[in-house]
Amino acid sequence: MANIAEARIKREFKEVVKSEEVAKCHIKVELVNDTFTELRGEIAGPPDTPYEGGNFILEIKIPDTYPFNPPKVKFVTKIWHPNISSVTGAICLDILKDQWAAAMTLRTVLLSLQALLAAAEPDDPQDAVVAKQYKENPKIFQDTAKHWTHIFAGDSKVAMITHMLELKQIKKIAISHHS
Amino acid sequence: MGNCLKAQSADDISLLRGSETQDGNDQALGPPPPYQERVAPRAPIYYPSPNVSRPANLLTEDEQVKIAKRLGLIVHLPCGVYDGCSKKGKECAICMCDFVMGESLRFLPCMHTYHKDCIDDWLMRSFTCPSCMEPVDAALLTSYETS
Repeated sequence: MANIAEARIKREFKEVVKSEEVAKCHIKVELVNDTFTELRGEIAGPPDTPYEGGNFILEIKIPDTYPFNPPKVKFVTKIWHPNISSVTGAICLDILKDQWAAAMTLRTVLLSLQALLAAAEPDDPQDAVVAKQYKENPKIFQDTAKHWTHIFAGDSKVAMITHMLELKQIKKIAISHHS
Repeated sequence: MGNCLKAQSADDISLLRGSETQDGNDQALGPPPPYQERVAPRAPIYYPSPNVSRPANLLTEDEQVKIAKRLGLIVHLPCGVYDGCSKKGKECAICMCDFVMGESLRFLPCMHTYHKDCIDDWLMRSFTCPSCMEPVDAALLTSYETS
């Protein structure tokens, strides 16, 4: 990894750790390995959104050319949002693409993602199915997003297991109906 | 760098083989053309647009023109040396390191200051201020008009 990238990440790390948002448990960054190329981010779902109460894990990969190129970020926690793929977690956000600027930091990226959760942009979707639902059926969208937050981003592992069992049950029923 | 070292080792081998040092040197002088060829793919890398990086020898004509213009514009941006009492910030927002006495700085028209090397690298990719996003060419024009 290029020297400037590593030196900057080290400095940014301290910045995020010291920042106010961390004190309020809204954002977090952790090292995955000692090379500073891969990090694990965490953001809290913003209040008054279907993501409230959820904790969303992010995979952050730092390119050699950082900060001249943006970090590669995707959601590890499954999330129901028009600008985030419900399958892969890929994010559609301008500052992670062509609107990146070298003065942006891990902290501003995490805060921008939090803002994205609070204000979706359905006209520039990453997940067409979710975006369609968001526009045509806001009530069902809200409920689905809330359900996904509860199941995948909630702190109770029990919810996840129950959900998996439910899915298995539904599959079994579907198969038995089919045959 | 790697190529220089390779050329050096080829030289050394010929020195070992040749009974006379002078002879060996002549042989080593023989193959510059292949050496030149090997150097070609390691030409300096340019960034015609933020996510495109290309060695200089593979640039299209349009990209070459764009880069040449960009280099010309960057040269016109004022430079200086950090004197320790600059009021325009003490840290480079790109590498996030504090300015050290004697380091070369570049001043953008929007009054943001960076290390010369840091900002020149960025400006080749995007001609905007990384801090305020102000397009540098537009700001350059207004600063010409006002002065």
